[in-house]
Amino acid sequence: MKKYVFYPGCVMSTEQYAYEMSIREILPKIDIELADVEGFSCCGAPMKSVNQLMTLYLSARNLSIAQKEGLGLFVPCPVCHLSFSECQRIMENNAEMRDRINGMLSSEDLQYNGSVNLVNIIDLLHDHVGIDKIKKLVKKPLENLKVATHYGCHLIRPSEVGRPVDSENPQKMETVLKALSAKPLDYAEKLDCCGAMIQANLPESALTKTGQKLVAVQEQGFDVFVDVCPWCHRMFDSKQTKAGETVAAKLDVPVVYLTQLLGLAFGIDKKRLGMDLNLSPVDKVKIGGK
Amino acid sequence: MSIIDLTSMGESQTEIKKEINERLSKLQGEISDYCFQCAKCTSGCEAHKLLELEPHKIVALLKRGLIDEMVNSDVIWTCMSCFKCRERCPQKVAPVEILFALKNMAVASGKQIPGKYTAMLQSILSIGLIQDVQTVTTRDNKMKKREELGLPAVSKPIDAAKFQTVLSKLAVEKI
Amino acid sequence: MSDKIGVFVCHCGINIASVVDVKRLAKYASNLDNVVVSKDYKYMCSDTGAKLIKESIKKHKLDGVVIACCSPRMHEHTFRGVVETGGVNAFNLEIANVREQCSWAHDDKERATQKAEALVRGAVAKARLLEPLERSKISVNPNALVVGGGISGIQASLDLADKGFKVYLVEKTPSIGGRMAQLDKTFPTLDCSACILTPKMMEVANHQNIELLTYSEIESVEGNIGNYTVKVKNKPRYVDMDKCTGCGDCVGACRMKDRISSEFDMGMGKRSAIYIPFPQAIPLKCTIDSENCLMITRGKCGKGPLCVEVCEADAIDFKQKEEIVELDVGSIIVATGYDLLDPASVYEYGYSRYDNVITTLEMERLISSSGPTVGDIVCPSNGENPKSITFVLCVGSRDETSCTWCCRIGCMSALKQVYLIKEKLGDDVEINVCYTDIRSFGKGYEEFYRKIRGQNTNFFRGKPSDVRKAEDHLKMDVFDTMTSKLFEINTDMVVLVPELVPRSDADDFTRVLHLSQSADGFYLEAHPKLRPMDTFTDGVFLAGCCQGPKDIQDSVSQASGAASRAANILSKKELEAEPQVACVDEDVCSGCGLCVSVCAYNAIELVEDDGRSHAKVTEALCKGCGACVGACPSGAMQQRGFKDKQILPMIRETV
Repeated sequence: MKKYVFYPGCVMSTEQYAYEMSIREILPKIDIELADVEGFSCCGAPMKSVNQLMTLYLSARNLSIAQKEGLGLFVPCPVCHLSFSECQRIMENNAEMRDRINGMLSSEDLQYNGSVNLVNIIDLLHDHVGIDKIKKLVKKPLENLKVATHYGCHLIRPSEVGRPVDSENPQKMETVLKALSAKPLDYAEKLDCCGAMIQANLPESALTKTGQKLVAVQEQGFDVFVDVCPWCHRMFDSKQTKAGETVAAKLDVPVVYLTQLLGLAFGIDKKRLGMDLNLSPVDKVKIGGK
Repeated sequence: MSIIDLTSMGESQTEIKKEINERLSKLQGEISDYCFQCAKCTSGCEAHKLLELEPHKIVALLKRGLIDEMVNSDVIWTCMSCFKCRERCPQKVAPVEILFALKNMAVASGKQIPGKYTAMLQSILSIGLIQDVQTVTTRDNKMKKREELGLPAVSKPIDAAKFQTVLSKLAVEKI
Repeated sequence: MSDKIGVFVCHCGINIASVVDVKRLAKYASNLDNVVVSKDYKYMCSDTGAKLIKESIKKHKLDGVVIACCSPRMHEHTFRGVVETGGVNAFNLEIANVREQCSWAHDDKERATQKAEALVRGAVAKARLLEPLERSKISVNPNALVVGGGISGIQASLDLADKGFKVYLVEKTPSIGGRMAQLDKTFPTLDCSACILTPKMMEVANHQNIELLTYSEIESVEGNIGNYTVKVKNKPRYVDMDKCTGCGDCVGACRMKDRISSEFDMGMGKRSAIYIPFPQAIPLKCTIDSENCLMITRGKCGKGPLCVEVCEADAIDFKQKEEIVELDVGSIIVATGYDLLDPASVYEYGYSRYDNVITTLEMERLISSSGPTVGDIVCPSNGENPKSITFVLCVGSRDETSCTWCCRIGCMSALKQVYLIKEKLGDDVEINVCYTDIRSFGKGYEEFYRKIRGQNTNFFRGKPSDVRKAEDHLKMDVFDTMTSKLFEINTDMVVLVPELVPRSDADDFTRVLHLSQSADGFYLEAHPKLRPMDTFTDGVFLAGCCQGPKDIQDSVSQASGAASRAANILSKKELEAEPQVACVDEDVCSGCGLCVSVCAYNAIELVEDDGRSHAKVTEALCKGCGACVGACPSGAMQQRGFKDKQILPMIRETV
């Protein structure tokens, strides 16, 4: 049993419950234990446009809290993961910033004392747990399910701060999906953005990005659209209807979290994976030849 | 001597340009001067087609020191933070980070912050998260609360007062 | 040892004289022990200055000279000549640098002058102890080795051979010709590449002074300038070169016909296991690819090898083995050429994903009438003529995340191909060129660029972010900074203009010849402006793109230059080695070998003499860097002209 501190981030904790539910369901099956820790706050990423110093501080304080547990930090939300990665890079390379932030952290009785090992859902599954282990747990193979993967911008870029997957040709999710007997296929729009980051100030444009990508996925006949980011999922799944209205298209794309799909393949009950919380037509997804 | 932009009669704001370059160098290890306007960033910009953001032009204006016209514009708020410009730039310039710097400057100079950012900021100050814990609707229109789904309580700052004090002080500081 | 030293103080115009009191300095020197004459003059390096020194030597019967002037890096060589002509051994000269190390570094005149006095004092102290040295002679083997049979190697070989020297031209592939043989036409004149190349190739084949070793590689090089011993591996062709007529019947008969990716065609076409790389190959002989031939890899080929069956000359010989030959040469020219960057590393442009995204060299093979489609430009995916072709320049070049340098020929190659494509497919074919800058710097280049601008070509000043597949074609968005508009380009083929990089085995080859590389991996020239074809290894020269990307005319120029540099050596019966080299007192040396390990030039070895081992310096290889002297724990290793017993008094006197 490998243990990690769990950092869910704001969107998962306050709204995207299906992601948290499916994570908590499948992790024990792959021998991962999660430690819930008190005291976390927002990672600060949504505030980067307002005041980047605040973003750095917020990320640093969460890292300092996690550090106390002496475990690796599991951050399934790619936006939080990037914010933490960038914060660590700056804290390691810039002594002036580090001292300044630590000065502020001491007001909360916290200190940043060096890097925490950050892990996202994809590298946890692909690099740490391994495909063999995942394969052994499959009870209901996703027989040739044609899957469109969506990694999300913050998971794959910018590669210079170190991301868990390749920025131009990410394939780790595909490898995991193939272990579940699914058929993931590349598509031209694979690396396109969901628009979530401007949802706060330009909602119509954000929904247009979402709608445009879903239209492309739908036109290419995919059975299911898989994502790993609560911000992206919120756009593609929760706001799919609105997105369709915005781009004047009838969207009917099943959107699931990777962890939900894994859960289904492992034979876990739909309800426990939060499948009823998905607003996209996920009932269309046929699992295990049913 | 002086360089004057005859379109806007703006002069080069070299001090602020230096400040921004120092910030970029401190945080990313890159500066804007190396840009040779290949426009690969704009060609791939996720915000360009819909919102006419031109990352290469932002860099060019920064190089010329014409900062005010950008800080006062709406277009800097259209960036989707997709980081493609930073990833693919052949000269390691990061327009996305320049835009964050310009947005921060706009906020610090008292310009109105667009959209829901203020609400998110206030929420962080009060409960540590960008929004309250929501009750969600299922696909078959039932309402569900977080605790009804068997999930543990949300992690929040333990000493809210200390947290708020630090953040409030920080909110008016510049990076 | 010198008793009668002359000191000559140079004013260097005002460079020295404006800070150092040169008259006082000369007077000071005249009062030092063993100094019999001391003069000063405005420009000691001039004719008049030289005359002054020579006359003083004669008049005062000097046996040692000290010159207080600029850095020895400037004029030491000149002054040695002056002194020698005057009748003093060239190495009984000591320079006191009172310019770079004194007048140029200080403002305070009094203290600068005192320092100059100290420097001269030290120089005189050393001059007293200098020994006359003789330059040793190295015999010169008049043969030359040229590595690489592309246009640069060919040109260098011909130049040397025409001068009367015997040249061994070693080429790795089965034929000479290199990259130029792969081209259809050359810019800006649109000469047919093969037509201008093959006469030179024929000349090489027929030249009585050139021995061509194709399908051969350099195994090792030992020795030094004037005397290199080179081991060359002749790879087995499994074809008897004397019997093979190059008729090509075997090629058509081969069981692996059309099954092996052709390197010459950059993978755009296929060949047999037995093949002639291209129709004008020299030598025009067949070669069997040992990695794909069934007979060689599996020991059997159906009921019997078909090549053997059809060969009327009975030239196939599966028993051939690799051979090592030894060559003795006096000078070596490296002309090993370049590779293209594999654009798969710039993943976003789709090279590894889409068949219709190709490189310029691959397009060149399509355009070429000796190519896989006999000059018909077609989409690799469906064999149809494209209606639209888009060029993307600077792929992987001028890129801090990939290769930082400009490939120099990309712009002109692309423009040339635009012309050739329009010629073949008609003016209606839509051609788009996405560029960052157009570098048309050479003679006739701008005129060519203007021509293409006038030819209904769509130039977009901007770089696309990626190339995507759209139904049955390719598309990309490119922001055109000229119009400040974003364009969506829908196109059938995309031609990427990739960076030029060193050959994949360039790193390995540096060990064979102790070549240095610049940061970009190309071989390093001794000086970028004044010695662009020399290397830091005396006697080894560079020609062509192995030193850095360049076009054909610059390659040819550099090749002729390298040949001339090599000829400077080969034309001499013997060379003189610099005598200020390391020397070992064999009686004191304990054979510990520390000097051997610090020598960067492999100039020292341990030898056995009467049961004792001691160090031995090969003077011709020694560069006089002094590292071994510093490392030697016993003081057995000294450097002539800089011995401890000469330097220590100098230090004492100076301070």
